Amino acid sequence: MEATSSASMARQTWELENSIQATSSDPDALDAIYRYDEATQTRAQQEKPWVNDPHHFRRAKISALALLKMVVHARAGGTIEVMGLMQGKCEGDAIIVMDAFALPVEGTETRVNAQADAYEYMVEYSTINKQAGRLENVVGWYHSHPGYGCWLSGIDVSTQMLNQQFTEPFLAVVIDPTRTVSAGKVEIGAFRTYPKDYKPPDDPVSEYQTIPLNKIEDFGVHCKQYYALDITYFKSSLDSHLLDLLWNKYWVNTLSSSPLLGNRDYVAGQIFDLADKLEQAEGQLAHSRFGMLMPSQRKKEPEESPLAKVTRDSSKITAEQVHGLMSQVIKDILFNSVHPSSKASTSATDSSGPVPMIES
Amino acid sequence: MSAPSDLAVASHPPSGAAAAAASSSSGLTFKLHPLVIVNVSDHHTRVKAQAACSGDGTSAAPGQPPRVFGCVIGVQRGRTVEIFNSFELVLDPVSGTLDRAFLEKKQELYKKVFPDFYVLGWYSTGSDVQDADMQIHKALMDVNESPVYLLLNPAINLSQKDLPVTIHESELHVIDGSPQLIFVRANYTIETVEAERISVDHVAHLKPSDGGSAATQLAAHLTGIHSAIKMLNSRVRVIHQYLVSMQKGDMPLDNSLLRQVSSLVRRLPAMESEKFQDDFLMVCYSAKLII
Repeated sequence: MEATSSASMARQTWELENSIQATSSDPDALDAIYRYDEATQTRAQQEKPWVNDPHHFRRAKISALALLKMVVHARAGGTIEVMGLMQGKCEGDAIIVMDAFALPVEGTETRVNAQADAYEYMVEYSTINKQAGRLENVVGWYHSHPGYGCWLSGIDVSTQMLNQQFTEPFLAVVIDPTRTVSAGKVEIGAFRTYPKDYKPPDDPVSEYQTIPLNKIEDFGVHCKQYYALDITYFKSSLDSHLLDLLWNKYWVNTLSSSPLLGNRDYVAGQIFDLADKLEQAEGQLAHSRFGMLMPSQRKKEPEESPLAKVTRDSSKITAEQVHGLMSQVIKDILFNSVHPSSKASTSATDSSGPVPMIES
Repeated sequence: MSAPSDLAVASHPPSGAAAAAASSSSGLTFKLHPLVIVNVSDHHTRVKAQAACSGDGTSAAPGQPPRVFGCVIGVQRGRTVEIFNSFELVLDPVSGTLDRAFLEKKQELYKKVFPDFYVLGWYSTGSDVQDADMQIHKALMDVNESPVYLLLNPAINLSQKDLPVTIHESELHVIDGSPQLIFVRANYTIETVEAERISVDHVAHLKPSDGGSAATQLAAHLTGIHSAIKMLNSRVRVIHQYLVSMQKGDMPLDNSLLRQVSSLVRRLPAMESEKFQDDFLMVCYSAKLII
């Protein structure tokens, strides 16, 4: 059908533009990552290449299943932080996450070592899973920061440092389910901490995130103690096939989603936060008029003025609103601007009339 | 797997395969979450990869991947059965029955994290319902009186248009004078929450995960909506073609179908009241305040 071939062409151009490596279409090669080779893993455990190089792991590869499970679990928690563990293996400079499972603890920011309660659950779950054919070991933990971005708080940093001392290799993943739903793309970050006395080279700040005012201090104090890994996703050949077919039923949900309605509370919170930040920036601007004598030479990159940060935050909120509004308007045009004519058979074509851009 | 199925064939008269084609009349609506599909697919891929690596081809028939088994959990509210999640089960290769202790342990663990979910049934992979499956189905009946059986066909067939996932229920039918349990197919719909939809979209289409400029993000969003609209358009055209050929007389008149099409068409415009227009304009206005 023409529709499917042009859709696949559009997807290929998209993938090309975003330099997504086209993995080989040989199903066996794609699925090779699912094989768990006990011997290679034990060898890697003995060699411990990460001991000498704190920056050893640079990439995180997350499987489709793990991502789906983590996002669903994080979202199910609502505004409460939830956490879980990830299972997988390591390969060279990448940590591969094959699966994830939830832990029955509700994380709050004040608990220092929430994992102590969950040890029994974790041990039971891992042993049972080995019986069922899930041979990988626990390779990291994930938790959610509903609404306030993907970064490691002070407690998280200390937990991760502890983990990296005793149970290497270990990865920390943070998911923000609220921002995921509001922005329409998955908000996820993978981190590893530096050991206590290590002075990291000044890498450029990877991606600016808006962080609510009440958390910004916690973020700032610890942001130099860890680094982010590049995240890529992978799926098996069967997964790709199923997901393609799933689209045949899924397009209904895409069209019917209403981001404006769903994200009301979150957007309101964001705007309040923005207002506070503006006030703060205003105060700072008034002071800096007197203090702008010497440009600071210490940092390689000049730090952005607070006003610039506020501008970025507001444009992010705006972009999301635009998305939501466009969805609403499109739905309105598609389904509301039709008037029933006398013949039943011709009004079927009329409904696609007001959208002349569709060519199939 | 030939030994257990021989036993099964001996104990049950061979009626399973033929009866699986009948459709369910229980009146339950089934909703399936994509997470379950990805779960089963991952389980299958894993087992296949391990088996290929260890080179042990004695149990499975050559060229056929080993079957995997697992349990599906979810919520049943009235007549709606919603399947949210699933986990693996261990099949005892000798007796062909499920390992009960394992099932109970796993159930306990999952109850701690998801207290609302109950065991709704089980799943397996394969191209068709097999006779041995009824045994497993009956064994699960003491956990849930009417379990569902979800079958995923892992064969990758590129010309397929439909999801190779079928849901079966068991019904008591009288065949040849004796009441027997047979599998009947049931229809299901795919149900999702917004977060699940976004992550499935993300993985399926490999959208750029980094920030990108606002323009690329908007382009991504609109591309998604565009493809959805294209699907809608192609479906509408299919209906249109069908109606035209009916009008010409190429196809036999089907009144029930015509009634359905006419009711569909009469649902447009979806909302025409004045109050809706006012509310809609208010939403546009307040959104534009922020922009």
